[in-house]
Amino acid sequence: MEIRFFRTHSKLVEFIWPPLISEEILKALIKVQQYLEKEYGEGIKEIRKGYHTLSLKLQEEISEEDCQELIEEFKRIPAGPDDYPTKTWTLPVLYGGEYGKDLELLAKIHKLKTEEIIQMHSESVYTIHFYGFLPGFMYLGGLNPNLYTKRKERPERLIQEGTVAIGGQQTGIYPQESPGGWNAIGSCPLPLFDIQKKPPVFAQVGDSIRFKVIDLETYKKIKFQVQNGKYELKHD
Amino acid sequence: MIKIPSYIHFIQPGLMTSVQDLGRFNLAQYGIPYSGAMDRYSLEQVNFLLQNPKGSAVLEMSNLGPEMVFERPTRIVFAGAEADILWNKKKSIKNGQILEIQEEDVIKIKNFRKGQWLYMGIQGGFETEYIAGSKSWYPQITPRFKIKKNDSICYLSEEERFYPSVEPKAKVRSDWFGNHLIQVFPGPEWHLLPKLLQNRILKKSFTVSELINRMAYQLKEEISNDLPQILTAPVYPGTIQLTPGGNLIILMRDAQVTGGYPRILQVDNVSLNVLSQKRSGDKIKFSIL
Repeated sequence: MEIRFFRTHSKLVEFIWPPLISEEILKALIKVQQYLEKEYGEGIKEIRKGYHTLSLKLQEEISEEDCQELIEEFKRIPAGPDDYPTKTWTLPVLYGGEYGKDLELLAKIHKLKTEEIIQMHSESVYTIHFYGFLPGFMYLGGLNPNLYTKRKERPERLIQEGTVAIGGQQTGIYPQESPGGWNAIGSCPLPLFDIQKKPPVFAQVGDSIRFKVIDLETYKKIKFQVQNGKYELKHD
Repeated sequence: MIKIPSYIHFIQPGLMTSVQDLGRFNLAQYGIPYSGAMDRYSLEQVNFLLQNPKGSAVLEMSNLGPEMVFERPTRIVFAGAEADILWNKKKSIKNGQILEIQEEDVIKIKNFRKGQWLYMGIQGGFETEYIAGSKSWYPQITPRFKIKKNDSICYLSEEERFYPSVEPKAKVRSDWFGNHLIQVFPGPEWHLLPKLLQNRILKKSFTVSELINRMAYQLKEEISNDLPQILTAPVYPGTIQLTPGGNLIILMRDAQVTGGYPRILQVDNVSLNVLSQKRSGDKIKFSIL
């Protein structure tokens, strides 16, 4: 895979893979990130990921030549044992109604039944590519292309915490209430972010997410358990 | 030396008053913004004048400013924006002047004459929650993200403290943020812009719009473009995004950690402090480093 770099200034550089939302690229990013942390940890202040970008904030200055040499180094990283995260987390979702106000709209846009949308959304396995937008917001890859839906022209002023939504080629869950332009299709009763926990999120970049259809009664039951600290989130 | 936990009570909260320090780093991997003082230079100034540890937590204020009462003696100092600062209803205070605050003293911030953010440093810094490496307020991270009416914040009063002789009236200038030239680096998507548009952006004088907050400053003038959308990628405070609608959005300290708009420029760290002090209607020009 071809890797390019862009050096904004002597202490900020990004390495760029082909512009795709793909698990292969995510794996390559993670591999390079682990390599950089191991070999150059001291010199790097922060590594930040996008879908196909690894951005490095550096302690020391880096030249264009150094960047080019690093790319050559990345190509030589041995395949070796994989530290790639593999957990799968199943998150309950109540679809439609007041919990997913745009489900009907989506059905209309895609000329599908709401049940078909729910099925397509809940049968896919998604991969966490990175966190961004809001604390604890997962950028997920793996949305069924039949569900790709343009963002709203005018963002909603308030999207509730836990809202499961679709925006462009992506799906995600709002970890806190926020304005937002994505189409709401459901709600997840679990807390996704807690700054008191270390780390503040339960899933790692690279882990998988599945959505499980639940009814209103189950949704309320889980909410109640969460409030009383009795819900235990498990992974496969 | 006895330090007594004491409170500042807010009679009026002000529009956007919060506690800030240098910010919260290394948690961007979970989507947590840096936060921290919009104008770090002024934060460093107040802490320096009070001989506080570097990066001690200060109060950040914007127009409308707050009105507050101090429970016990301490020392405070202001820097950043130029505002009418009243000490016990009469004395007008200048930035850089160290105030020996007594019990029940009232500070009221009125009209902001110049600049966007005013900083109040306090002896020893504020004693608010230290969360994930910082005291900077941000929603969902700290219990509060801005001061509300009748709120209080904690500081340590040191009545018996011997103060080394510091010049009590250091000159704090504010002409440094009058500069309208903002120094920038080309961003990752700059090269996708046609030469003509690049030149226009660098020659044009831009106006700061009314859409300014701790997350971003939007500029008034539009640059129509047909840059492609990008897949969500990392952004930082100082990243300038160009939207399909032609808006230039300069990301500030509370900016999200990733974004989907093309990143055409990156503001230099020093210029970011200058920029933060610009107000709606102020003119700026970009200069490539």
